[in-house]
Amino acid sequence: MSDRIVFADVSKFYGEILGVNRVNLSIPPGITSLVGPNGSGKTTLMNLMTGLVKPSRGRVQVLDYRTDDPENLFRILGYSTQFDAFPKGLTGFQFIYSYLRLSGRDAQTAEQMAWRVIERVNLVDAAKRNIAGYSKGMRQRIRLAQALAHDPKVLVLDEPLNGLDPLARSEMIALFRASAAQGCYVIISSHILHEVDVISDQVILLSNGYVVAEGQISTVRGEIQDHPTQILIRCSRPRELAAKMLEEELTIEVSIHKDERGLLLKTRDTDRFYLALNELAMNGIDIESVAPADDDVLSVYEYLIGNEEAVR
Amino acid sequence: MTREMMSVWWAQIRAVVRLEMRKTFFAKRGLWIYLVAALPVLIFMAYAVATASEQNHRMSVVRQGEKRLTYQDLLAVKSGMTQEEVIAILGKPPIRFHWTDRRPTGDGTTGPGSTVEVSHENYHYSDGQNDLFVGLVNGEVESINIQEGSNPGQDSIMFAEVFQFFFLRLAIFFGCLGIFMNLFRGEILDRSLHFYFLAPIRREVLMAGKFLTGLLATCVIFVTSEVLQTVAFLWHFTPGARDVYLYHNHGLEHAAVYVGVTVLACVGYGAFFLVAGMMFRNPILPAAAILLWEWINPFLPAVLKQFSVIYYLKSLCPVDIPSPPGMSPVVALLVSNSDPVSAPVAVLGILIVACIALYASSLQVRRMEINYTTE
Repeated sequence: MSDRIVFADVSKFYGEILGVNRVNLSIPPGITSLVGPNGSGKTTLMNLMTGLVKPSRGRVQVLDYRTDDPENLFRILGYSTQFDAFPKGLTGFQFIYSYLRLSGRDAQTAEQMAWRVIERVNLVDAAKRNIAGYSKGMRQRIRLAQALAHDPKVLVLDEPLNGLDPLARSEMIALFRASAAQGCYVIISSHILHEVDVISDQVILLSNGYVVAEGQISTVRGEIQDHPTQILIRCSRPRELAAKMLEEELTIEVSIHKDERGLLLKTRDTDRFYLALNELAMNGIDIESVAPADDDVLSVYEYLIGNEEAVR
Repeated sequence: MTREMMSVWWAQIRAVVRLEMRKTFFAKRGLWIYLVAALPVLIFMAYAVATASEQNHRMSVVRQGEKRLTYQDLLAVKSGMTQEEVIAILGKPPIRFHWTDRRPTGDGTTGPGSTVEVSHENYHYSDGQNDLFVGLVNGEVESINIQEGSNPGQDSIMFAEVFQFFFLRLAIFFGCLGIFMNLFRGEILDRSLHFYFLAPIRREVLMAGKFLTGLLATCVIFVTSEVLQTVAFLWHFTPGARDVYLYHNHGLEHAAVYVGVTVLACVGYGAFFLVAGMMFRNPILPAAAILLWEWINPFLPAVLKQFSVIYYLKSLCPVDIPSPPGMSPVVALLVSNSDPVSAPVAVLGILIVACIALYASSLQVRRMEINYTTE
């Protein structure tokens, strides 16, 4: 029994246009974010994962299910797409109810489940209104409700926070976290990097159809050799600490904070740097805090892909 | 395939049908289908009104007549009879037109350009069902024209012509095109097909649900049209004539067969257009190809004929359309059914052709991807 979402050498071409190429991934439970500029292949990866498009080459498997077996796949998977169109003439409730009836559930169960999920996305008041009259945020919520309606083990969410107000965003983030805490697989694509940074257990960075990096953010950051790691230290004698680090060639750039209580250092060898820092601490420099300054998605994204598409 | 699985599939098919029904019946882009289905009804209604008006006129002629005439009386008038002989048989004409003109003598006894006055009379008699028009020149019968009134037996040929050449080949054909092609293609254009593809439902089950929806919709529309056509067709006949036609001249049986043929046409064309709607972005090309294939069917070799819907439907139609004398052989081939098959073979043939098309649809639906940007 597989406990991963696996992409094995997957490529997808739309005619001559590349969607994604030679993707190998093994996604564990938790919140995984797909990050990349427009056209990098995020939605293609999600559509491949849900069987909406077929791979030109390779194999995608979601836990124990093949993606060409929707009857079983969508019993454990919910997908909130970016497609902003709905079957005509349906109210929010009918949309969810019909989806659950399509799953083969009886009328009573479908009705109960529909109201429960509508309540979960805070859309009860608008549930009896036609979706055509919904705002962008409400349409986003009803799509989320569709994805969540059958309590899936795998949640695939394409830009799920788009169009939501700050309160709704935090509600949704809490909802994703709760799902992940229960052992679910939550796959999110987003442009909003600081939100991705806050909620993700791991990231997959995409650029031009290729996976540039994957894993936990700190691990990915550690693997980027081109850019020195930035470390922020609050301490009693920052100038002395800076001098020692420069003397031992453990830092390539130092800037002292104007309050003379902190400094920002750049190092290419974090392991040796931290060993030296421990020695200095034992030799009398009072260190209040040590924190990596670029160990986040935004920095990783900037280093690997560039920042032109990032929304800070 | 377990019983439980079957019951889930059936529940899913019903869910698809419930969702699709309203869309299919009330789609703005499908309003023209109702007009096409209503057209033959309107034709028969207009025919009924015209025939009823003719009949009223005929009855007024009967009322004005001196004698109660029979069809045999009307046939008794012969060319060359005198005015008196005609009146002796049929009585004084209820409607009479009289006029004179001048004709050149042309016998050489008078000068060039000389003319002689000629007296013309036209008599109109009726036995209540048929009209007799007698033309007299100088008191002698010169022309006889009997116009037989409508009767269900004769009009059933006209009904068969409208059914075969308009209703089957055009109305149902294009109606099925409009409904079945839109089942998937319409959703792709509306960018809402992913709703179904994200549900835990086998693509083949979805296809079956959609096909059933299309079939229900087309059957309701065209069977209703067919029934209304029959009602309009029989409306103007006297209750006695209607009863004789319906219960003693196979009229009821014919009506039932027409309804059956209509349903089978919806099955056959529906299956064809379902697969065409999934395979082609532009419906005009496959529609034109299928239409052409159906029309050239009489000219195809026997083996190829079998891969057509009209071949079997023609064999099932209850009334043969006679080829009028002087008709070109090509048109006569279209009209006649030169190579009919028995009814069970025809029904089976349509069902097999439909099954082949549905099998192709099931393969196609499994291959379908959601990629609205390329549509």
